[in-house]
Amino acid sequence: MRAKKLKWMALFGSPKSTGVSSIFSPKLRRWLVYLFLVPVVAWFSAAPTEAQTPLRELLQPLGFKIAFESYADGNSDILVMNGDGSNPVNLTQTPTEQEHYPQVSRDGTKVCFVSDVGEDRDTVRSVYVMDIDGSNRKKVADHAREPFWSPDGKVIGFLPQEFAKFDVIDFSTKGMSFYDLATGTITPHANSANLHHLYHPSWSANGKWIVATVHAGMGYDHTILLIEAHGNKIINLKIPGCRPCFSPDGKQVAWGADDHELAAAPINLEADQPAVGAWTVHIKDQQNKIYHVNWSPDSRFLAFSRGPDSGGDPTKPGTHLAAAEIHGVYAKGWNTCVVKADRAANLSLDQATEADFLVLTTNGFSNKEPAWFRPHR
Amino acid sequence: MAIPRFLTLVAVVGLFTACEKSGSHAPNESQSAGAADQGKAGSLGPFVVTTKSGVEMVYVPGGEFMMGTDRGNPDEAPAHKVRLSAFLMDKFEVTHQMYAKAQLPNPSHWQDNPQKPVERVRWRDAKRYCNERSLMEGLKPCYNEKTVDWDCDYSANGYRLPTEAEWEYACRAGTEGPYDFGRPDKLRQYAWMAENSDQKTHPAGQKKPNGFGIYDLYGNVSEWCEDVYSPTYYKESPAVDPHGPPNPGKDVKRVIRGGSWKSSPDQCRATARQGERTGDTDACFSTDFCGFRCVRRITPEELEQLRKSK
Repeated sequence: MRAKKLKWMALFGSPKSTGVSSIFSPKLRRWLVYLFLVPVVAWFSAAPTEAQTPLRELLQPLGFKIAFESYADGNSDILVMNGDGSNPVNLTQTPTEQEHYPQVSRDGTKVCFVSDVGEDRDTVRSVYVMDIDGSNRKKVADHAREPFWSPDGKVIGFLPQEFAKFDVIDFSTKGMSFYDLATGTITPHANSANLHHLYHPSWSANGKWIVATVHAGMGYDHTILLIEAHGNKIINLKIPGCRPCFSPDGKQVAWGADDHELAAAPINLEADQPAVGAWTVHIKDQQNKIYHVNWSPDSRFLAFSRGPDSGGDPTKPGTHLAAAEIHGVYAKGWNTCVVKADRAANLSLDQATEADFLVLTTNGFSNKEPAWFRPHR
Repeated sequence: MAIPRFLTLVAVVGLFTACEKSGSHAPNESQSAGAADQGKAGSLGPFVVTTKSGVEMVYVPGGEFMMGTDRGNPDEAPAHKVRLSAFLMDKFEVTHQMYAKAQLPNPSHWQDNPQKPVERVRWRDAKRYCNERSLMEGLKPCYNEKTVDWDCDYSANGYRLPTEAEWEYACRAGTEGPYDFGRPDKLRQYAWMAENSDQKTHPAGQKKPNGFGIYDLYGNVSEWCEDVYSPTYYKESPAVDPHGPPNPGKDVKRVIRGGSWKSSPDQCRATARQGERTGDTDACFSTDFCGFRCVRRITPEELEQLRKSK
C-alpha cells in the first residue's frame, strides 16, 4: 500500500503541495511541458515569417497595381496589372501609336505617358494624360517627353524635346514645363532656360524638389541633380548612375547605380542642403541589365525592369535602335520585377529566393517602366 | 590656261602657309576654293570645297599607297599595297556647332566652345550625323537605318564615315613615314595629345594641317571609321577600296584612327590602329576621346563640275 502511494506521489506530487505542483510531480510536469511545447514549436517553425513569405503572397493582400509598357503585335501599349503580376489589362489599344513611359498620380486616378506617332527622325513624341481605366485621353504637349506628377496630382511636369527632329536618346531635352490639369495651361519652370539635357525627373512628396539625371548639360558631365521645384537652386547629389525616383513617404531615393545595380538611400528633403545618406539597398544582377526602379505606394517594395543587353530590333515598327533600357527601344526578353526594399541590401538576383524577388511578367515582350499605384477607392 | 592654274596654286600654297604661321584657323572661316595641285597621290592634287551646308571638305585624289607598316604594332602589319578611289574628306573634325546644326543632342564632355570637336559619340550616332547631313544637302544617305549595323551603301553619294584605308591614305598625304610632316619632334605643331592638351579637347583647326590640308588628324579626338576592327585584317585585306572584315556578330569593335588629347605620340602615328566598342547599347557612352569626321565619294562628273566652278 505504501509502495502504491509513493508511486502516486511520484507522478502527481505530495498531497501537501499547492497549485499545479500540488497536482503533478516534477517529472510529469516536465513531460506535460514537452507534450505542449513540441507541437507549438514545430508549428511556429513551419509557419513562414514575413521574411520567408513568398513575395507574391505578401503583395496580393495589399491590393496595389502596376502600370507598365509592353510591346506586342507590332505595337507598344500601356498595361495595368495587379501588384503580384496577375490580370494584365491593356489601356491603350491604338495600333497607330506607340505608348510608353506611364506615370500614375498618387491618388491612383490618372496616368500620364508619352505616345510616339511616325517613324524614325519624323517621329512626333507627345505627352498625354488619361484616367486610370484608359478613358478621357487628352494631349498635354507635342515634342515633349518624360512626364512626372506633382505630389498633389494637380500638375504634370514634362521635359520639352531639344530639337523638333526626333532623337530617341533620353537626354534630348531642353528646359522643363508644368501642365496645370485644371486650366490646361503650360508654364515653364522658373529656371527652365538653364535646364538642359535632363531626363527621368521625379517630384518629391513635400513638393519642394525635383530629382533628375543630367547628361552632358548644365556644365555637368553626368550626375543626378536635385532641382528646386519653384526656384533656381540646383544641388548635385554626387551619386553615380541615373533615373532617380523618390519614395512616396518622402524619406528615400532609389536609382540605377549602373547597368547592373539598383540602389536606395535615405535623403532629408526638409534640409536646406539635402544630401543622400548611406546606401541601404544594393540590388545586383551580373547577367542582366536592371533599370527603371519605382517605389510601391507604401515605400516597402521596389519594382524595376530586367533583361539582356541589346540595341533594339529594327524589324519592330515604331521602335528605335539604342540601348534597350531607353523607352521607345524594343527590349527583347525584358520583364518587370519586384524586390523588397526593406531587406534587400546586397541582394544578388541570380541567387535570390521567391521571398525576396518576384518576376511579374514572363513573356519578355519589352515589359518596362513599371509604375506602382494604390487603386482609388 | 597654264598661267591662271599656276597663280591659283600659288594662292592656295600661300593661304596654307599663312594658316601655319597663324597657328589658328577656325573651321567655319571660308577658305580657299583653290584649284588643282599636282600632288604625289594622283594627277589632280587636293583642294578645298565648301558643301551646300557650309562644311569645308578636302578633295582627296584617288591613288595607290602602302597601307600599314612592318615596323609598328603587330596589327599594323603587313604593309600592303592598296588602291583607293577619290573622295572628299572633312577638313575638320565634326564640331559641336556642326552637330547642333543637324539637330542632334550633343553628348560631349567638354561643352565650353562650339568649335570643339564632339566626343563621347557612339559609332551609330556618328553615322546618324552623316545621314542627317546628307539629307540636309539633298544627297542620298549612305546608311540603311533599318539594319542593326546601319549597313553602308558605298555607291550612295551621301556622307559616311571613312574606311580605315581612306583615313590612313588621307593622313599619310602621299608620304611613307609615321607622320607625313617628317620628324616626330614636330608632332606638337600638328596634334593636341597628352603632352600638350592640358587633358582636354581644343577648338578644331588650331594646329597645323597635314600635307593635304586636313586638320587634327593626329590629335584632339580619335576618329570613328566604318570598318570592323580585326588585328589580322591586313593579311587578307583586298587591294582595292577595302571596307574592313565582315561583322563577326559578337563582341564587335570598330576602328578608331588618329590620336586624341590623351594619346602618346606613338598612338598618334598615321598607321596606329585601335578597336573600340561602339557604345550603341550604352545609354551613357563615356568614351570622351571618340569623335569623327565625314567623307563622301565623288564622281568624275562632280569633280569636273567642281573644277569648272573654281
